[in-house]
Amino acid sequence: MDIQMKRGLLDVCVLASIREEESYGYQIIKEMKPYVEISESTLYPILRRLEAAELLTVRTAEYNGRLRKYYHITESGVQRIEDFKEEWREILSIYQFVIKDREEKKANDET
Amino acid sequence: MTKHEFMEILRSREALFGLPEEDIERSLSFYGELIDDRVDEGMSEEEAVADVGAPGEIAAQILSEIPLKKLVKEKIKSSRRLRAWEIVLLALGSPIWLTLLIAALVILISMYAVLWSLVAVVWSVGAALVGSFLLSIAALVLLCVQGSVGMGLFLLGLGIVCMGLALFLWFGSMAATKGAWWLSKKVPFWIKSLFIGKEKKV
Repeated sequence: MDIQMKRGLLDVCVLASIREEESYGYQIIKEMKPYVEISESTLYPILRRLEAAELLTVRTAEYNGRLRKYYHITESGVQRIEDFKEEWREILSIYQFVIKDREEKKANDET
Repeated sequence: MTKHEFMEILRSREALFGLPEEDIERSLSFYGELIDDRVDEGMSEEEAVADVGAPGEIAAQILSEIPLKKLVKEKIKSSRRLRAWEIVLLALGSPIWLTLLIAALVILISMYAVLWSLVAVVWSVGAALVGSFLLSIAALVLLCVQGSVGMGLFLLGLGIVCMGLALFLWFGSMAATKGAWWLSKKVPFWIKSLFIGKEKKV
C-alpha cells in the first residue's frame, strides 16, 4: 500500500480506537491488532502528530506505581473520523463500479 | 537486553542525531511505558524489550518524522558552542577564508551581471527593430512629401520586416527573461542545500 495513504489510514484508526473512551499506548496496539498490525515505532509518531493537530489530548496518570499516558479524543478528532467515513463511502461506491465492470465483461465473454 | 540497556541506547542514539532534550525524554517515557505494560501482562523484560523493537531503528524513525527546520535549528544551536582555540584559529585564518569568501561572492555577482546583460541584449535588439519600423514610417512620410513614393514604400517594407522580426524576438526575450529569473532563484537554493542536504540524509 502507498506509504502516505497507510499513514493517513492509521491516523484515523488510532482516533477510532480512542473514540468511545480514552486509551493508552499498549491498549491501542492490542485493540488494532486483529485488524491491522501496528508497531510502537509507527504508533509513537502518529500520536505525536495527532496531538500536534489537536485531534487528541494527552494526560498523565498514575497506574500501578508508575506513570502512564492516556490519550483522549477531541471534537476535531471525532470530526476527522466522520470525514474519513464520508470519504470512504464514496471510495466504496467507486469500488463497486470497478468490480461490477469486470463481472459484466466476464458474462459477455462467456456468451 | 534489559529495559535499562534499551533506554540508554535509545537515549544516546537520539542525542547523537541532535534531538532536543524534551523530545528525547518524551519518547523515552513512551517506550518505557510500553515495555512496562508488556511486563505487566506477563512477558519477561527481555521479551518485552525485543517486542518493542530495535532502539536504533526507533531513533531513526523518530528522526525522520521531525520537520527539517527543527533539525537544522538544533544542529546550529549545538555547533555554536565553539571552543576557545577554534575561535582563535578562525580569527587567525580570516585573511584567507574571508578573502576567498569575498572572491566567491564577487564571482557570483559578476555571473548574475553577465546573465542579466544577455537578457538586456535580447531586449535591446527587439527595441532596435521596433525603432527601425517606426523610423521607416517617418521615412515614408518624408519621402512621399519629396515625391519618392516608391523609395518610401520600399523603406516601409523593410520596416515592416523589422517589426515582424521584433515580434518573433518578443517570445525569445520573454523566454530569456523567465530563464534568467528561474536561474537566479535556483542558485540560493542550491547553496542552501549544500549545508542542509547533509542533515536529512541520516
